[in-house]
Amino acid sequence: MLQFKLVLLGDSSVGKSSIVHRFVKDSFDEFRESTIGAAFLSQTIKIEDKGSQQEVVIKFEIWDTAGQERYKSLAPMYYRNANAALVVYDVTQQDSLAKAQGWVNELKTKVGEDDLVICLVGNKLDLCTEEGESSSKPKAVESSDAEGYANEQGLLFHEVSAKTGEGVKQVFQSIGEKLYEFKKHELANSKGRQGAGGDTVNVQLQRPSTNDATSCCG
Amino acid sequence: MDLDESYVDDRRERANEPLYIPPIAAEPTTSINLAQTLFQPSEFDESLEDQLAQSISSCDRRHPLVSTEIPNVFPHRYDKNFLILTSAGKPIYAMKDGDGTIAYMGVIHTIMNYFKLKEDQDLRCIENGDVRFAFLDREPIVLVAYSARGETSNELFSQLDFLHSYLLSSLSERQLSKIFSKRQNFDLRNFLESTDFENLDEICSLLCERLYPDALLGALRSLSMKKSHRAQLHEAMSQQLTKEKDLPRGTLLYGLIVAPENKLCSVLRPKGHTLHTTDLHLLFCLIFHRFQNLDDSQELWVPICFPKFNANGFLYGYIKFLPKCNSILVLISAQKDAFFNLKSFADHLIKDISSNGLLEEIHKAKGFKISDIPAPLVHHFIYKSKKHVQYVMPELELHSDTEPEQLIELERKFMTYYQQIHNSVVRDDGLAFNKSCLNFIRWDSDAIEPSEEPIAMLGLGWITPKFELYLICNNGVDDKHVIFESAKRIISWCRKHESRLFVNEGAIF
Ligand SMILES: Nc1nc2c(ncn2[C@@H]2O[C@H](COP(=O)(O)OP(=O)(O)OP(=O)(O)O)[C@@H](O)[C@H]2O)c(=O)[nH]1
Ligand SMILES: [Mg+2]
Repeated sequence: MLQFKLVLLGDSSVGKSSIVHRFVKDSFDEFRESTIGAAFLSQTIKIEDKGSQQEVVIKFEIWDTAGQERYKSLAPMYYRNANAALVVYDVTQQDSLAKAQGWVNELKTKVGEDDLVICLVGNKLDLCTEEGESSSKPKAVESSDAEGYANEQGLLFHEVSAKTGEGVKQVFQSIGEKLYEFKKHELANSKGRQGAGGDTVNVQLQRPSTNDATSCCG
Repeated sequence: MDLDESYVDDRRERANEPLYIPPIAAEPTTSINLAQTLFQPSEFDESLEDQLAQSISSCDRRHPLVSTEIPNVFPHRYDKNFLILTSAGKPIYAMKDGDGTIAYMGVIHTIMNYFKLKEDQDLRCIENGDVRFAFLDREPIVLVAYSARGETSNELFSQLDFLHSYLLSSLSERQLSKIFSKRQNFDLRNFLESTDFENLDEICSLLCERLYPDALLGALRSLSMKKSHRAQLHEAMSQQLTKEKDLPRGTLLYGLIVAPENKLCSVLRPKGHTLHTTDLHLLFCLIFHRFQNLDDSQELWVPICFPKFNANGFLYGYIKFLPKCNSILVLISAQKDAFFNLKSFADHLIKDISSNGLLEEIHKAKGFKISDIPAPLVHHFIYKSKKHVQYVMPELELHSDTEPEQLIELERKFMTYYQQIHNSVVRDDGLAFNKSCLNFIRWDSDAIEPSEEPIAMLGLGWITPKFELYLICNNGVDDKHVIFESAKRIISWCRKHESRLFVNEGAIF
């Protein structure tokens, strides 16, 4: 089994916890509490090895961080060792995309770019569909704009709804596939190893080692 | 006063009547023979009898309001507010945020400054009739309580201290002073998050509307469970700690299992150190409000400042929901990167205690009922063991169709009774009148409607160096002998079951 660390970043209330919850529990909670600190969850998925057509099990260890400004300075602790980052914005809130872009920049400057898969995710798509009639909100972020930005920056891009579940699985699936491709290359390059498919490889979770008892925020 | 009218027109009538009638200290009206009835006399010093005789008194409170079962003698109108502002006079928070509140804060600020300048002393308390203002100046924050409900000044101060402690737990003293040293008239509302306001609301509602004696008594509620099961839990905790050799020293400071309704189930702590009750109250509030719908799929890593432990620094809490018993495991560290160490500790511990069936035992620990104790005519009580800094009380027995509003009403009523009983045995500064002190208190009124029972409520407060007992009798009971006997039975029952009712030492390392 392959194990990857994944971190969610983005402004408060864009729906990070809701996306994770949809992915892990396949449920949605209308009245989710804003996250304080961070939440750790895990979930496995299966992907197919394109060469051998074998099933590969991937385990995600997920850090769902708090979007509140107060916790911003804690974020490096969570993304430092991540293999993938989900940077989430709310498709009905223009400034949440700006915040997301801020995170992308931070990740690119602070984390070795080639190791990290970044996926830009626009959430709450359900609010903009016609079905909801009265509750329908204008879409503040055009897909093409966000997608253009994602392409420019070399990010994966998805639009989802944690509420209906639309697109959520695909986000993790595509991240899993991409990480697997990376890993496979890495394994192929390192001699003395057998083919990747059936091996059990643990991507070692590094434990950061700073000792700072006195500061949480800033 | 025309009772019928006040019954009909609730609000207008009641606004004019005193909301709280202070206890009238009367000559002792009881004729309890102390020599005969003293409970376990050997445990008390000799002067106790005198002290008790001195302190037994009876208070009458008349109030023309009747409801069924345990009657409510307290007005429904809610005359209480908490305000928080900056030392520069900028509003931060108001429990009840009416139109005039902001202007109000300006006035308060002016008054406080006036006293500072003119009298060169801090304003602490203003009383006007039944209304009392209490001020707590904690530069750069000022907290004000306004109440017409008859709390002692000390109780109001401690409530304000609780609110202040919450702000510190969220921001830390250091961060607060950093903010205000740069800009004295900083608007702190911009810095607080929506969760802070929600948490403040929740704490205020706990303090003012629920049966939450924790703050009043400065104690934690404990989960009653079989002695052997609690011992097994503590043993499992200790063993896990010995097993985890690579858990660096100091990584784990403190561990707790908290059962539903914020009952303390077990503790893992270093020798000679306990966390301050206020810090634990804050932690429990956080657990209660924030993590109620936690499930076992997630583990949380939460920075929290424990103001009484160290107001300047943050500790980190590993928080995990325990399946099968709806309880929460909390592990506290001073290191912000200790999550995976604590997670591994928790994983092993949980595996261990679930294989022993202990999670089910926590779930089965259902507390006790008043009927479990042979204490005739007692409706409800709170017993605090001073040694443990914990209290117990019988479960509220509710009909299955009790609406949430009715529950709140009931809790508020109980709480008000207990506040008044408590206040009848402590001075305004919160200290007991004597080392030991026993007092009966009465609330009386005639029936308003023929169908209703008249109110004749009797309460008892009893404080000694070892325990505190507060009890409420059934309506209509006035036999103090019987109640005194019942009180003694409750005490001996609680003592007898001490190791089951309270968390004693815990697992110590
Ligand atoms: N309509 C709709 N509402 C959503 C969706 N996702 C989340 N929400 C709602 O948006 C609010 C915030 O969602 P959260 O998942 O708590 O947001 P968050 O990003 O985790 O917020 P923080 O924990 O504060 O950082 C909640 O009330 C959710 O119910 C969605 O896809 N559609
Ligand atoms: Mg969240």
